[in-house]
Amino acid sequence: MAAQAINTASTAAFDRAADWDALAVRARAVRRTKAVVLYAFLIAVSLPIILPYFWLVTIAFSARAGVAETAVLWRSMAVIMPVVVAFWLTVALAQSRRQSWIGIAAVAAIGVFAFALLVGPDLHLGNFIFLWEPDFASVVRSRIGEVKGAVQFPNVWHAFANSILIAGAQTAIVVTVASLAAYYLSRFQFPGRSSMLRSLLVLHAFPVLTLIVPMFLMLYWIGLLDTLFGVILVLVAFELPFAIFIMKGFFDAVPWDIEMSALTDGASRRQAFVSVVLPQVRNGILAIAVFTFIRGWEEYIFVFTFLIRNSNWTMSLYMYWVRDDVMGVDYGVVSAVGVFYLVPSLILYMAAQRYLMQMSIGGVKG
Amino acid sequence: MAKIEFRNVVKRFGAVEVIPDLNLVIEDGEFVALLGPSGCGKSTSLFMLAGIYVPSGGELLFDGHVVNEVETRDRNVGVVFQSYALYPHMSVRDNILFPLRFKKTPRDEALARVTAAADLVRVAELLDRRPSELSGGQQQRVALARALVKEPQLLLLDEPLSNLDASLRLSMRTEIKSLHAQLGVTTVLVTHDQIEATTMADRIICMRAGRIEQVGTPDDLYLRPSSLFVAGFIGSPPINLVAGEAEDGMVTVNGARFPVEGASGSLTVGLRPEHLRIGDTGFAGRIAQIEPMGREILYVVETGMGAVRVLEQGSSAGHSTGEQVKIGFLSENSLVFETERQKLIAGAHVREPV
Ligand SMILES: Nc1ncnc2c1ncn2[C@@H]1O[C@H](COP(=O)(O)OP(=O)(O)OP(=O)(O)O)[C@@H](O)[C@H]1O
Ligand SMILES: [Mg+2]
Repeated sequence: MAAQAINTASTAAFDRAADWDALAVRARAVRRTKAVVLYAFLIAVSLPIILPYFWLVTIAFSARAGVAETAVLWRSMAVIMPVVVAFWLTVALAQSRRQSWIGIAAVAAIGVFAFALLVGPDLHLGNFIFLWEPDFASVVRSRIGEVKGAVQFPNVWHAFANSILIAGAQTAIVVTVASLAAYYLSRFQFPGRSSMLRSLLVLHAFPVLTLIVPMFLMLYWIGLLDTLFGVILVLVAFELPFAIFIMKGFFDAVPWDIEMSALTDGASRRQAFVSVVLPQVRNGILAIAVFTFIRGWEEYIFVFTFLIRNSNWTMSLYMYWVRDDVMGVDYGVVSAVGVFYLVPSLILYMAAQRYLMQMSIGGVKG
Repeated sequence: MAKIEFRNVVKRFGAVEVIPDLNLVIEDGEFVALLGPSGCGKSTSLFMLAGIYVPSGGELLFDGHVVNEVETRDRNVGVVFQSYALYPHMSVRDNILFPLRFKKTPRDEALARVTAAADLVRVAELLDRRPSELSGGQQQRVALARALVKEPQLLLLDEPLSNLDASLRLSMRTEIKSLHAQLGVTTVLVTHDQIEATTMADRIICMRAGRIEQVGTPDDLYLRPSSLFVAGFIGSPPINLVAGEAEDGMVTVNGARFPVEGASGSLTVGLRPEHLRIGDTGFAGRIAQIEPMGREILYVVETGMGAVRVLEQGSSAGHSTGEQVKIGFLSENSLVFETERQKLIAGAHVREPV
C-alpha cells in the first residue's frame, strides 16, 4: 500500500515537473523575443542620434580644402555602425555586470583601434584656424581666390567670454532669486499666493518670440539695447518662473521640523535657512543652475535681436556669422566652430548628469 | 531651570480656536506629561513654550517673566521632535554641535561638551556617522543629546518614543527618567500613551480638545479620575463604565441592581478590570471570551449590565469559556460619576449586590 502511494505521488510530481519545464521554455522564448525586439529598436534609434554628432566631429577634424572628405566619412561610418551594434549586442548578451563591462571595454578598444587605423591618418587641426587667427575668414576665402567681402570677426575668445558672462551672470541671478522666492512661496501664507503659483506656469507657457518686439522697445528706452546686461535681464525674466516652480517643489519636500529645530537650537530665521534648509535643496539648486547655464549658453534669439556690435557677439552669434560667411566656402571651419561651441555644454551635462536625473517637479499646492 | 506658567493662554489658527483658555503652573525641575488624544493641542502647547507659536491671547511666563514676545532662539529651550528632526546633511557630531554654534562657545569647550552630551546618552561611538546611518533609537538619543548640550532651562519632548519598538521604548523610558533625575531640568513630555505618562512623569496634565481635564500625580488620575474622560483614558485594559439610574439607595444598570452610597439620579458606575474578581459573591455572568496576556488573564464576561472586563492575576486561566461565574469587588475601589456632567462624585461608591 505504502509503496504504491509513494509511487503515485512521485509520478504526479514528475508530471508537474514536466509541465514546469515546458512553461519555463516558453517563458524563456518570450523573454528572448522581447529582448531582441527591444535591442533592435535601440539600435535603430541610437544610430540617427549618434551619427550627426559623429559626422560633425569627424568633418571638423578631417575636412581639407573646405570640403568634407567623403571617403573619410564612409570609412568612419564603417567603424561607428558596427561599434554601436556591437555595443547593444554585448549589453544584450552579457550574463553579468562584469561581463558587460568587459564586453563594452573590448568593443571600445576595437573601435578606437579601427578608427585610428582607418581614419586616424586623415585627422588634423587645420580647421580650428579660428582659434588663433581672428581674420580667418579672409584666409579661408583667399584659398579659393575670393578676397573681398569677408565679415569682420571678433576674436573667438572674446565671443566665448561674452557667452560665459551671459550664461554665468544669468545663472547666478536666477539661482539666487529663484531660491529665495521659492522658499517664500513654499513656507509663507500670503494673499494671492495660489494665483501667483498658477501665473508662474502661465508665464512659462508664453512663446518668447511673441514678446520680442515689446522687449526690444523696452530695452531701447531704458538704454540697455546692445548691452550684455540687457540680454541677461531678459533671459533672467524668462527663466525665473520655471526655476521658481521647480525650486518650490524641492522646498516643499523639506520637513518643517528641522527648520523649527534649528530655531530652537538658537538660529535666526536666516541662519536656519542658510545652514539647514539650503543644504537639503542642494540638488535642486545644481539642477536649475545647470539648466539655466546651458540655456544661456545656447541662447540665440535674444542675442541676435538685442546685440548688434560685434564686440558683443556671443558664441551663438559667432557661429551664425561663420555659417553665413564661410559656409559654401569651407565646411570644415563651420564644423570646427560647431565642435568648439558644443564642448562646454557637453562637459557641463556630463559633470552634472547625476543631479539632473534627480530633478522632480512638485505639484502645485494651494 | 525654570518655573513655567500659562495664564489664560489662548491659541487660534485663523478662525479655529485650538486652545480656548489654558492655565497651568509647572514647578522648577518638575517632570510633567501632557497627555491626551490626537489633536487635543498638546504639540500646540509645546510649540508655544518653545516660541515657535505665539499665543493669540493670555500670558506665558518663565520664572515670573512674560515671554510671549521672546524669540525662540533667546528662550534656551531644548526640544526633541517627534520625527527627531536631525539635520540630514551633518554628521552626528555637527548635529550636537549645532546649538553651540550660536552661543559662540569656544571650539575646544564646545567639542568637550559634545563629547559629554554624547556620553550621557551613549552615542559617543557614533559621532562620525550621518543620521541616515543610525537606527531609530540611536537617532532619538542623538536628538536628546542635541537638546541637552546647550544646558537648556526647559526640555520639551514631543512624543519622543512613538517611533520606537516596544522593548526600545521601555529602555528609553527608564533612560529619560534617570537623565531627568541626574540633570534636574524642568521637562515637559507630550504623549498620547498613558503608560508613558504614568511611568515617567511626576505629574500628568490630561488634556481634551484644548482644555485641561485633570492635573495630578499618576495615582490621582488612576484612583480618583475627575471625569469620565480621564477614567476612560487612563488604565489598560480600559475601565468598565456602565450608565444607570439610582433610586432609594439602589442603582439599576440594565438588568443588574447595586446598592449605592452618596449619590442619586443618573449615574455612571466605573469598575476597573483589575479591581474585579471572579468568586462566590457579586453579580452573575457567563464567560464569553478569555484573553491570556502573559502574567494576567482578561475575561470578558456577559452579565446583566452588558459585557464586563475582568483582569485576574496568573498565567493560566482558572475558568473556561461558557462557565457561569460571579463577579465581586471592593466597595472602596468603585467609582461613581454623574452621567449628565460626566464628573466624579467624590465619596460615592457602589457595593456588591447581595
Ligand atoms: N498650523 C496649524 N493650522 C491650523 N490648525 C492647526 C495647526 N496646527 C495644529 N492645528 C490644529 O490644532 C489642533 C491641535 O493640534 P496639535 O498638533 O496640537 O495636536 P496634538 O495634541 O499634538 O495631536 P497629536 O497627538 O496627533 O500630535 C488640531 O485639531 C490641529 O488640526
Ligand atoms: Mg503632536
